[in-house]
Amino acid sequence: MLENILGSKNKERVLFYIEARNEGYAREIAKYYRVSLSPIQEQLDKLETGGIFVNKKAGKTIIYSFNPRFAFLKELKVLIEKAISFLPDDEKERLLIVRRRPRKKNKPL
Amino acid sequence: MKKIRDMTIGELAAFVSTQLSMNGIDCTLTGGACISIYTNNKYESFDLDFIESGQFPQKKTEDILNGIGFYKENRYFKNKQTKYFIEFPSGPLSIGSEPVERYKEMEFETGKLKLLTPTDSVKDRLAAYYHWDDKQSLEQAILVCLDQKINMKEIEKFSADEGMIEKFNVIKRRLLNRK
Repeated sequence: MLENILGSKNKERVLFYIEARNEGYAREIAKYYRVSLSPIQEQLDKLETGGIFVNKKAGKTIIYSFNPRFAFLKELKVLIEKAISFLPDDEKERLLIVRRRPRKKNKPL
Repeated sequence: MKKIRDMTIGELAAFVSTQLSMNGIDCTLTGGACISIYTNNKYESFDLDFIESGQFPQKKTEDILNGIGFYKENRYFKNKQTKYFIEFPSGPLSIGSEPVERYKEMEFETGKLKLLTPTDSVKDRLAAYYHWDDKQSLEQAILVCLDQKINMKEIEKFSADEGMIEKFNVIKRRLLNRK
């Protein structure tokens, strides 16, 4: 959808994911979109270098979120939100609904 | 000319800035290095963050810095003679969502330096405190307020625009107690 502006489908995926869920790490984003890890890592890294994302470490995991100090954050988020609203309903629902309650380890279902 | 190993952070920033400027690259010093300069090193930063005004080929910047002994390591430029390192964060130069329109110019024996004004430096540090609750940034902002002439009305307006007027009032009280 914004691929032509952003120049990369994976950059769009990463921006959609972080906008929808506030934060995320490379492996979960790659798993969510069923794509390989390295192009997602590459886009996260580029967005962080460009000042659009910031990251924090949780153990060995690098968690990314929007940089609240990015000068065009408000405008960028409006664009991404609008693009998300054009996604098919099932995809939008899947992207926006996140399990927040805890889950027991090794629970079969 | 002073050797790089003997330069203070301000002298080195001015030297680098002048070398870039002589080659048509205009840049502004921002971040912790401004705090070091404004507080006479009460807060010591080793990181020279320059934001370029306009778009310049990365290779050109790299060639100029190579010419004065800096080599690139990841996103930083280092020099074996000094503990200070240089970075070029992505622009634009902004405080909150507003572009920076005023600068301070300082002259050192090594060259001229364009940097954030003391008031904008305080806003820059407060933004980090407001958004990430970074106490170190708050302390740096307070040090600049104590050492430099600051436009508190402007800081108050900035804090209000960021939705942080309550946090600003706490800082204001702290400053009144220390002055």
